[in-house]
Amino acid sequence: MKVKNEHEYNNDYEYIGKPERNVNGVEKVTGAAKFCSDIERSRMLYGKVKRSPYPHARIISIDTSKAKVLPGVKVVIVGDEETAPLRFGAGVADEYVLARGKVLYVGDAVAAVAAETEEIAEAAVDLIEVEYEELTPVFDGDEAFSQNPPAILHEDLKNYTTIRSVPPRYADKRPNVFNYFRIRRDYDKNAFKDADIVLENRFEVAMIHHVQMEPHCGVAEIDGTGRLTVTGTTSKPYGMHRDISESRRMPSSTVRVIVPTHVGGSFGGREPKAEQIAASLALAQKGFPKRPVKMWLTREEQLMTSTTRARYIVEIKTGAKKDGTLVANEMTTILVGGAYAGTGYLTARNGSFGPAANYKIPHFKLDAYGVYTNQRMAGAFRGFGNAETLWGMECNMDMIAEKLNIDPLEFRLMNCTDEGDLNAFQEKMHSVGAKECLQAAARDIEWGKKPESPKEPYLKMGKGIALGNKYSLVPTASACFVKVHPDGRVELRTSTVELGQGSNTIFSQMISEEFKIPVSKVRVLNPDTDCTPFDLGTASSRSTFNMGNAIRKACADAKKQLFEIAAKELDVSVDLLVTAQSRVFVKDDPEKSLDISELFIPMVIGGYTLKEGGEILGKATYYLPGVMPDPETGKSSRPASFYMFVAQAAEVEVDIQTGKIKVTKMVTANDCGKAMNPIMVEGQQDGGVLSMGIGSALLEEVIVDNGVMLNPQFADYKIPTTLDCPDCDNYKSAIIETAHREGPWGAKGVGEGTMVSSAPAIANAIYDAIGIRFHEIPITPEKVLAALKEKEKSGRATFGGNHDKRLSDMENK
Amino acid sequence: MERMSLTVNGETIETQINPGTTLQKFLHDTLGLTGTKEGCGEGLCGCCTVRVDGKAVKSCIILALQVNGKSVQTIEGLAKGETLDPVQEAFLDHGAFQCGYCTPGMIMTSRSFLDENPAPSEKEIRYALSGNLCRCTGYHKIVKAVLSVDPKKEIVAK
Repeated sequence: MKVKNEHEYNNDYEYIGKPERNVNGVEKVTGAAKFCSDIERSRMLYGKVKRSPYPHARIISIDTSKAKVLPGVKVVIVGDEETAPLRFGAGVADEYVLARGKVLYVGDAVAAVAAETEEIAEAAVDLIEVEYEELTPVFDGDEAFSQNPPAILHEDLKNYTTIRSVPPRYADKRPNVFNYFRIRRDYDKNAFKDADIVLENRFEVAMIHHVQMEPHCGVAEIDGTGRLTVTGTTSKPYGMHRDISESRRMPSSTVRVIVPTHVGGSFGGREPKAEQIAASLALAQKGFPKRPVKMWLTREEQLMTSTTRARYIVEIKTGAKKDGTLVANEMTTILVGGAYAGTGYLTARNGSFGPAANYKIPHFKLDAYGVYTNQRMAGAFRGFGNAETLWGMECNMDMIAEKLNIDPLEFRLMNCTDEGDLNAFQEKMHSVGAKECLQAAARDIEWGKKPESPKEPYLKMGKGIALGNKYSLVPTASACFVKVHPDGRVELRTSTVELGQGSNTIFSQMISEEFKIPVSKVRVLNPDTDCTPFDLGTASSRSTFNMGNAIRKACADAKKQLFEIAAKELDVSVDLLVTAQSRVFVKDDPEKSLDISELFIPMVIGGYTLKEGGEILGKATYYLPGVMPDPETGKSSRPASFYMFVAQAAEVEVDIQTGKIKVTKMVTANDCGKAMNPIMVEGQQDGGVLSMGIGSALLEEVIVDNGVMLNPQFADYKIPTTLDCPDCDNYKSAIIETAHREGPWGAKGVGEGTMVSSAPAIANAIYDAIGIRFHEIPITPEKVLAALKEKEKSGRATFGGNHDKRLSDMENK
Repeated sequence: MERMSLTVNGETIETQINPGTTLQKFLHDTLGLTGTKEGCGEGLCGCCTVRVDGKAVKSCIILALQVNGKSVQTIEGLAKGETLDPVQEAFLDHGAFQCGYCTPGMIMTSRSFLDENPAPSEKEIRYALSGNLCRCTGYHKIVKAVLSVDPKKEIVAK
């Protein structure tokens, strides 16, 4: 079943697997690409939001009278029955478009204005007076998790609407828990009895931001019939469609959602709040015609108020035998969420999947929680919880390896899952490239070879490695239409969002492969709920696999229609026909063929028609329901679509005088099933490892004081620059192809798996360099210096992450 | 309103302008040259980079009036007719972009830098691009693309 085709651009296919140029590339490099933020309409109004200055407060009154009379102000809205009748949310409907009753974080939207210019809207926002009664907030994850938390954010949580397909589970005694998930595999009090060594540790990760280069934006327009069209930067057009229509009790077909061909990145963080507020402002206009409203967050607003990757607490207890065999694993994880659950409800649950599938562990226990705190929403972020949980697991693995005196690479190779192994869900694993990834990463970092020591005695070098994996979710569905035009070109109608990952390019290659036409003859429409059918969303690295399968099925349907018409014209049986280069051929008689255009009848006045059927339009759905895990044990024969494995290794140089850490070498090996386009796969690897992996490990943290973000500018919130990444020769990416039996041409996915092992690989390298085990990220120069000082003073070689604290102390608290 | 006269992508423009308008807003909103993106509005991300008399400038932190009488080049003015600039070609060949939001600024900075230093080392390129943020690519393919621009080929293209 395995196809190993590492870095191999040539294969048996004509179009897939090739390094095709990005089909939207010319637009992007010439400035022709139009993003949502570039949209201008005649008579457009600009929206601005009045935000809460308090992390937790009751709204006593809102006075909008001064704002309303400011010249140029057209709409002022507050959270009331008209603007925000119902709560919405990805899994738990816990958020109003504008706050009602209480504000729950600094930045929570309480009112909004639409005006002739941004400046007027901003001035009007300042004129809105809100009286609050401050309430006690909760920020700390342990405190929020407790049975008697200092604040309960959603007193009425149990009565909120929740999603039926993957319903959240609350924790009876812990009122701030918005989701609880558990796994129990052959687990009882004897689980660790065969272990020669048991190591228990606590790890944490800081809150970080996605920093999509295009800030969130929405444009809402209402036509003469009252129909609402919202164009936005969302990665889930149908999710946003549901949020907009259901929270306003609007019949779903009265709402249309469009996403432009160009969206400036997502990485999981495109919760559609700007779009929602634009919609409310547009709908609140009285009279006709209604004017378009654009809501565009400033960079500061985006950094301060939009979705983050949550602070995470990971406690892990792992037992192993002397020979290195893993025996048992026990984990508790807490996603320290925000005021609204958002996609965090699912992140909290699905962060369990990485640890569940990484290693063969016969006894496994896991409890995963998501908790509310008085901060902005924390939700999906590249890796969906697994970079956070694996951060704990992969540091702990190195610590055990050291105690057992086994090489960390060997330790992983002997325990990692392989084809046919059972994971913690007791699912039989298929398409597992763990070993190959580890071997490739070890090869590229020259594992076992000591790094060259610099002349300067204050520079310490070290190497580290880590293994990870990322599942893709179930239940899942993608639908698409494939239209064959009279000119022989083929058009794809899909709601997958081109966020930069290259989906338009690889989908074009897939269609090229199916129709044997050049990529230049394929066109991919941008998502538009009026003409592109349902897709679950551009998330979970699911597009290549799910939409790819839908595309293949829809191409088969379109070709069937095409061949049925051609068969009549050529007077042969349908199954003898094939298509290539916009012609239909008889298989064994290539002389007998027709141009696709010849199947259409040119009509008087203009246009072409078919005798029946309307047009050649292939339709298909790829639906994978999976099997919901048992609520008590997590047992499931299909909890995920597939698993992408990844191994990463780092070499670091630590300056013990300044604390500065330089990643001198970084390598990644990713098992994507089958690369549809190696340039696009490498692009995902590069960004995941170099920007987000290094950023999250060493640089990035949303610093919060009493709920206020202290660093909402790029001067203070540091994402990696060209100078923070290793030189081109010191970075290597390997593509491992372990075909999946259900994937299109064996493909799985890549994007989300690209940073799940970066931080532990770097931290393990830092330990190798200076002998200090960091229990939290980011590992900043300040922390390195503090840790070195502490080590010198007390000999203590562990630092941060509240590593002395235990959630088990909270059992009855 | 103040009177202003400048050249944008080779075209002379005479206009009246609110003195508070930034160059980025003037190019993007008034002239509709939407390739000049606002990424932060604080001069920290480089998305809005254009060339003023050949030099790379972050257009969100200078006023339009400051370029009165000068020559501005935006991403829209980089290709010569149908012929893309070698930097644009190199970005396409290497897949040196993903979402594309930082790309115009990245290309304008690279072009301006390569004009000053046609055969740079990787280190020099990394320094030159360190003021342009990109979240998608980790810069790897961007640096490779800029490294690949052949100084000889460029002269021909010009």
